[in-house]
This record gives sequence, C-alpha cells and structure tokens, in this order.
Amino acid sequence: MKRIRLGWALGLAVALFMILFPLYILFKYSIADRASIVTGGRYPEPLWPFAPTFEMYRYLVSRGDFWAAGVTSVRIALYTVALSLTLGAPAAYALARYRFAGYGVLIFTLLSLRLFPDIATVIPVVERFYKPPLNALPVEVQVALAHTLLSLPYVIFMSIGVFQGIPKDLEEQAAILGCSRLYTFTRILLPVAAPGLAAGAIYTFLLSWNEFIFAYYLTFTNPEGATLPVYLLRVMAWTPQKNLLAALAVVISVPVILFSFLVQKYMQAGLTAGAVK
Amino acid sequence: MPGLAALATGAAGVRTGAGPRHHLGGDPVGRRQRLYMWLMLFPAFFYLVTAFGLILYEMVTISLLYGPPGAEAYPSLGNYAEMLASPEFWAALRRTTVFVVIGTPLQLLVGLGLALLVHREFRLRGMVRAIFMLPIAIPSVVTAVIISLLFSVPYGHVNDLLMGRFGWFPRLVSAPINWYASEPLALGLALLGKTWRDMPISMLILLAGLGSISEEQYEAARTMGATSWQQFKYITVPQLVPAMASVLVLRSIEAWKEFIFPYILAPSFPVLGTLIDHAYHVAKRPSYAAALALVLVVLIAVTTGVLNRILRFLETHLVKA
Repeated sequence: MKRIRLGWALGLAVALFMILFPLYILFKYSIADRASIVTGGRYPEPLWPFAPTFEMYRYLVSRGDFWAAGVTSVRIALYTVALSLTLGAPAAYALARYRFAGYGVLIFTLLSLRLFPDIATVIPVVERFYKPPLNALPVEVQVALAHTLLSLPYVIFMSIGVFQGIPKDLEEQAAILGCSRLYTFTRILLPVAAPGLAAGAIYTFLLSWNEFIFAYYLTFTNPEGATLPVYLLRVMAWTPQKNLLAALAVVISVPVILFSFLVQKYMQAGLTAGAVK
Repeated sequence: MPGLAALATGAAGVRTGAGPRHHLGGDPVGRRQRLYMWLMLFPAFFYLVTAFGLILYEMVTISLLYGPPGAEAYPSLGNYAEMLASPEFWAALRRTTVFVVIGTPLQLLVGLGLALLVHREFRLRGMVRAIFMLPIAIPSVVTAVIISLLFSVPYGHVNDLLMGRFGWFPRLVSAPINWYASEPLALGLALLGKTWRDMPISMLILLAGLGSISEEQYEAARTMGATSWQQFKYITVPQLVPAMASVLVLRSIEAWKEFIFPYILAPSFPVLGTLIDHAYHVAKRPSYAAALALVLVVLIAVTTGVLNRILRFLETHLVKA
C-alpha cells in the first residue's frame, strides 16, 4: 500500500511537471531579454531571464496588425457563438423533449460529421467561398460560417442535457396559463436554460478562438482578415525571435485559459460527446 | 445570448404559435406538435446536412477535374492515377499510418495514467484536475510554438541539456541535434505536441469510465484478499474496456486528421494532411488537393469502421472470458 502511494505521488509530480513546465517556459521566453535568447552557445539559455522585461508585450501592443487580428478573432468568435446558439438551442430542445423514429439517425449524423478532417473539408469550402455569390460575404462571416460547422454538433450535444434538466411542468403550466409555444420557449425556457447554454457559448467561443485551418485558408489571400492564431504563424514565418513569438502566444492563450477554468464542468460534456455511453 | 436564440426560433415559433392554444406533456404527440418539433430541428440540421452534403459533392466533382487550368478534362480520374503513381503520396500515407499506429495507443496510455492519478480522493484534487485540463485550452498553434521553442536549433533548452551546457546534466551529444532534419525526430515532435495537447480528452473519457465502476466490487475483492494489482487487473481493466475502446476510436480518427503539428514541426516530412495543404497552396492544384482530401475521408471512414468492428469483437470476447 505504501509503495502504491509513493508511486502515485511520483506519477502526480511527473504529470504536473510535464504539463506546467512547457507553460512556464513559454512565459519565461515572453519576458526574456536579448542576452537570454541570443547565447551563441557560450552559455545555456537561462531558466529565468537575466533581466526580465515586458518589452515584447509593449512592442505587440504598439502594432496595428496585432490589434486588427485580435479584433477579427473576437468578432469571428462572437458571430460563431451567435450562429451556433441560434441554430443549436432549438434543435437541442426538440431532441431533449421528443422521442421519434429518426432520433438515432440524427444523433448518428451529428457524430459522423467528426469523421471529416478539417484539412479535407476546407478545400471545397474555400473553393465555394471564392466564387459568387458567397465571395460577397465579409471574410469574418465566412470564417464564422465555417466555424459553426465545427461547433454546432457540440453545442447541440451540450444543450440537450441542459433542456432535459428543466422540469416539463414548467412548459405545462405555461401552456395552461395560455402561453404560445414560441412565448414559452423564448421567455420561459431560454432564461432558465441560459446558464447551461452559456457553457456551450463559451465552448464555442474557445473553439473559434483556437481554430486554425479554416481561418488560415479563408484569409490566405486577405492578410487583413487574419485571426490571432493565423497572425502567430505569420509572425513565425517572418521572424524566429523567441521572445516575440512567446509573448504573442501568451497573449493568445491567457483568455482561453481563464475562460476554460470557468466552464470546466461543462467542457467535459462537449469533449466526451458520444464517447461515454 | 438567449435573446439571439429567440430571434432565430422566431421563424419556427411564429408559425406554430399562431394557432389555437395547445397542451404539452400527457397528450400523445399530435400532428401540430410534431410539426413544431421538426421546425425547431430543421435550421440546425438543414445547415449541417446541406453543408456537408455540398462539401462531399464538391470534393468529388473538383477531384474529377484534371489537366492544365482552363482546359481541364471532366470527368477524369487523372488526379487519382497521378496520386497512385506518386512516391510522395505513398510516403505521406506511410507516415500518417505510423502516426496513427503509434499515436493512438500512446494517447490511450497517457490518458489512462492521468485518469488513474486523479481518480481518488485527495486534498487539492479539484485543482490538480483543473491543471490536467489546461493543455486542451491552449491553441494547437501555441503548443506547436512551445515545442519549437524547447527544441530549437542549435541553441534551445533540450539541446543545451543534451550537450551538457547545464552542468548538472551529463553531456550526451557533442553537436546540437537538428530535430527538424530527421524524419523520426520531426514526426516525434509533432506527435509529442498532439499527445500533450489532447491528453485531457482521453483522460475525461477514461475518468467517466472509472467513475462507473461500483466501489462494492473493490470492497468485495479486498475482503477476499485481492492485492491492488489484482484489483486493477481483474476489476478496473475489464470494466474500462468500453471507455478504452472509445478513446482508441476517437483518437485514431483525430490522428488521421492531424494537420497543424506536422505542418509546423515536420514540414519536410508531409503526412496526408500536410500534403493536401501543399497541393493547394504551393502547387496551386485544388483538384489534386480535393482528390487527396477525398482519399483521406474514405480512409478514415474505412479504418474507423474496421477498428470499431475489431473492438466490438474483442469486447464481447473479453466479457465472455
């Protein structure tokens, strides 16, 4: 028993190190001064910078294209959230409340969409968006439409549970009091479901914020439309300067880390959708 | 956000709401109610089904275009013939297969390790779990950047370490290793990134599996004098088989699909995902890219089906034994 406890503690220490060390290293590079990253091999790169500096963050903040990418990222993510919830919440409600013949087929369809690799789907999607009439859409909307394809199945899955958790009495009483179905759904069910749906919304936001392939392809010929991950890759191609890359990477990751702490409980439902029977 | 959702349901709701008052619940599902339900379902499924239908249709039609731009032959299997004759395709297929065959069990093992570590009561358990969830929050591109920082050439932390520049670690190599010039090393880094970032997913699925095993079984085993190892081997593992099968299927799909990590960390050694990008952006041949994409989709569908069969067979086999 004692040996097992020791092994467990050791395993825990190793796991925590494996997860936290790379994150620490990223932060360390982001505040590194020149001497800490340009060593010429005379001494090892220090594990804590010789003279920590926020210079790279200040540099980023002074760049217009960085802000543009940030604004684009936020807008695309918000459009994706709006679209996914708008389409997903009613569908989840219907799936939660009614059992019908096609139920299994619908769920299977949702799950099988995962078989499509993004890198494969993106080719026809881009080809379609380059041609009229879809090329008339602003690039941000194009990316949001693509991101919705990825997030919608998750939003539906996560929201089915939310609606199942709402007692049916609520609707029955509303109906007795003479509310229409529309009124019941929008004024009674949605407010009650809002906290649960918010988790789906945040999950969608994170998915869109982190997504690379669609954003990269759809903004390939239009550098102004770049999202932050695409911008990071552009900077990477343009300079190998470690502290600048690290600072940019930190700026992209911090909002997601904070957000994901908020919705951990719910993220489980999204991440394991269809896996746990 | 509810306001926005309400806007969208408006279209569906107004039509049904205009009729006489109705009752939910005890009534059998009437025609009106059925209509209402389908109207609620329609927008989301219409969007997904049309989009993926169109995607598949376009993938096929684009891939059947072959020849110089403006003078393509259609329909032509030229792209496929060229693909089958190209050594790059076979090399990429081989690399992707290796990536899947090594990556999938690796992700299962790492996920299982993490799940077993947090599946017990201890102080700060919530915090440890939250930390274990961190990697999935980090964008893949950022994870790839972290790896490229750690394994940078010629002077990065790993090279410094291996060359003995840190003093407390023995000198193992005399010259810095160029990770990106060697196929196994570059793909290894890509796999490292993928495994690191996605380990919380496998962990969560396995944790759910562990949670469904009843404590009574362990108690019974302990009263009969079973050691911890025996408990693990005869109770935990067999009952975790469904969860492990899920992890294997889902992770193998993801491994086939992988693009970002090999794209950034192993650009010289394309897997199928990277090859599609190369055909599209570098060679500027959308139709060849579409043909590759379609092959990848079919490959994933077939291998997933086969893997599912095998696992189902093993599951029933194991239960019987």
